[in-house]
Amino acid sequence: MPQFPTPPQTQEQRVQEFVADFQTLRGEVRKVIVGHDDVITHVLIGLFAGGHVLLEGVPGLGKTLLIKTLSESLDLSFSRIQFTPDLMPGDIMGTNIILEDEEGRKHFQFQRGPIFAHILLADEVNRATPKTQSALLEGMQEGAVTISGTAHPLPQPFFVLATQNPIEMEGTYPLPEAQLDRFLFKLRVQYPALEDLTEIIDRTTQVREVSVQRVMTGPRALALRELVREVPIASHVRDLAALIVLASHPQWERAPEQTRRFVRYGASPRGAQALVLGAKVRALSEGRYNVSVEDLRAMALPALRHRIILNFEGEAEGVDVDRLIANIIEAAENLSVTEKEVFLR
Amino acid sequence: MPDLTILQRAVADVSRQIRVRRAEFYGLRGLFGGAVVALLPLVLRDSLGWTGFLWAGVCLAAGALAGAVAGFLMPLAAGEAARLADRGYSLQDRVATALEWADRPDRTPLVEALVTDAVARVQAMTGRRIIPRRIPREARFVPVPLALGIALVLAPAIPLPQGALSNLSGARQDDEEKPPERAGSLESQERPQAAKREDVRRAEVQERTFGPRAGAGGATQPGDISAVFKDTSLAGQTPDFNAFLKKGDDRIRMLEQIDRLPDLQRDFTQSQQRMIFQKAKALRGGLKGDQFSPDKLRELMREMERLGRKGDPGYQGDLGEGMEALEQGQSDRAMEAMERALNKLRAMEEKGRDGKGLRGGREDERRGARRGERGPGGAPGDEGDWPEGEGSLPGKGKNPNRKGDPSQRLNTNPFDVGVEGQARSGRKDGMDTNLVGRGGNVPSRLQYMGVLGQYRKQMEEDIVREQVPRDYHGQVKDYFKALDEK
Repeated sequence: MPQFPTPPQTQEQRVQEFVADFQTLRGEVRKVIVGHDDVITHVLIGLFAGGHVLLEGVPGLGKTLLIKTLSESLDLSFSRIQFTPDLMPGDIMGTNIILEDEEGRKHFQFQRGPIFAHILLADEVNRATPKTQSALLEGMQEGAVTISGTAHPLPQPFFVLATQNPIEMEGTYPLPEAQLDRFLFKLRVQYPALEDLTEIIDRTTQVREVSVQRVMTGPRALALRELVREVPIASHVRDLAALIVLASHPQWERAPEQTRRFVRYGASPRGAQALVLGAKVRALSEGRYNVSVEDLRAMALPALRHRIILNFEGEAEGVDVDRLIANIIEAAENLSVTEKEVFLR
Repeated sequence: MPDLTILQRAVADVSRQIRVRRAEFYGLRGLFGGAVVALLPLVLRDSLGWTGFLWAGVCLAAGALAGAVAGFLMPLAAGEAARLADRGYSLQDRVATALEWADRPDRTPLVEALVTDAVARVQAMTGRRIIPRRIPREARFVPVPLALGIALVLAPAIPLPQGALSNLSGARQDDEEKPPERAGSLESQERPQAAKREDVRRAEVQERTFGPRAGAGGATQPGDISAVFKDTSLAGQTPDFNAFLKKGDDRIRMLEQIDRLPDLQRDFTQSQQRMIFQKAKALRGGLKGDQFSPDKLRELMREMERLGRKGDPGYQGDLGEGMEALEQGQSDRAMEAMERALNKLRAMEEKGRDGKGLRGGREDERRGARRGERGPGGAPGDEGDWPEGEGSLPGKGKNPNRKGDPSQRLNTNPFDVGVEGQARSGRKDGMDTNLVGRGGNVPSRLQYMGVLGQYRKQMEEDIVREQVPRDYHGQVKDYFKALDEK
């Protein structure tokens, strides 16, 4: 068996440091945000998995505050764009302006837009026109924007956190399925519980200074992203991830009944990538060196809920996508052991 | 890289547990199969003797043993055992991942830490059984063959028939009537020939009429429902539904003859004159005078004569002439007379329509009067409201005034309109139900007098049966009396 140049202690230290950084960052956000532990954890998982996160929730639940607090915890540049119907792509990406030098000669100079930041808060992203949304989503996917034939790379890490309001649909432009697929996770911000609500009241109506410290730099975040990719995954766990994604497709011959009945389009291969990457970050954040089936179960909802498109019957029946995904996971796990002998199930 | 032996040993331990459980599981299945097979030597104990018990024991033990051995030796992949070990010891797939990735060339540095972690966790665990025992479904039924076997052991041996097997075909009455000396010897017994049965005759493919069965089984009493189900000549035949579908019944064939279909939309409350017309039309039906029935023609003429008594259509003479010709056997002449009478009847019908204010009506009468004033030399086409070349536009009329002729309605009585439901000049027949309101526009579907008679009779019966409250007897009778007065 070959020997590795780095001693095992070093690997354990790397993982321990990941866990410590993850906990510290979460602690800083929790100084400001009350409750929403799952949302905070999933946002951080999205950050270290190298994807972008869409937060959906009614107004006033602290979505924007969560993202602002996270940006304050990271030693990274931060931009916020309030999306409106009259926002143009140039307002996001930047534009070429004419400048005149001391000798009176005029030339074009690219004036960078707010997209050139490490952390970008796209507030109420569904209020902008599809043209503007596409400009943002192109940058999310490619990591660069092209203006006047010149490609401008975006700074790394580039992390987009978008919010949208599910109830005010008038005057909005809902993101198409193809563009939703660009987001690694879609998180639902729920209304806080009673104890959380009382804590929010106490924190926000009294004189209390809360200072959030910058606990992580950009290079450090990139290094942790590299570590995530090293986490091994067993073949049966990987196969289960593939089965879960396939079981969300109604056209698949072994798809469960619920999928056949209520789903129009299933999750894309990006969904499987998001599932496994999220599971790897989750495993590391818990100090484990491998991905388990429990990690897949935990990450299936945020990774797949925006990638499963219900059909008319599903919409008419008011099918909850989260419940549907739980059904799909159960069906996939049964499928993985159905053909096995009774003692191997 | 830490030693994987501990992980492999743990997986081997789990594999052994799985094999043992499999041996138990499939051993029980084999036991059930063996118990079933063991019944056979017990049944044949009479011929096998004491070896029957031996064979039964051997079958039982062999079944259980074969099942257990097969279960123990079933293939088992190490990865599967590792997965079950992870699940059984709650190791979150550490063992399976470590064993799978330890030998892979593309393993990452993190795998080393994983193996170390997995080994440490496995060492800390006690070797407990993680594979649960499973009982096969067949195990619940093992007592059944065992109980049967015990019963067979305790019961006397079952004698087997010697020689050839007896004829198991159905015994016939003539076999039973055979003399005993002939049926005594099995070897000499003739094999009874099956009686040649009549072939079931397939019903012919032909059009059949399914009328009510006429009690082929003898005289039947009215209301004898069982007679309907008595056997008939058709009972012996196989029902041929194909013929029915192919040929169809009378109703289906009737659909093809449109002219014979009853007109379900016909208004049966039309005037008697129209009914006479229709009867006459049906009577003639494209036939010549010597081709139709003189009886029907006579019936029609009597109908017309009866109708003519109500008014004075002026065709009584024609009818009398027709009847006389019919008596003399001159059908053509009778037919011509009836045609003349019908024309007069039609004229009377048209006159009756005028009274209803339909086409023509009072306006026509007035115009006729005006035409009479102007004399017979009226312009052709003067029957319409606006004859050709005239109109209300300036310069169009014959009147030299700029606005033309004054309206004909200027001096008419504004109240000179018929009230719906009120008797007016024109024909009167028995079908006018005097309905007012919305129902007045809909022609009645029943003949007034006939229905009224039925209702009156029903009313009298109901009063006799005390189905009408006593207090209402007078009121109901007054109501019908009022109807008579109308």
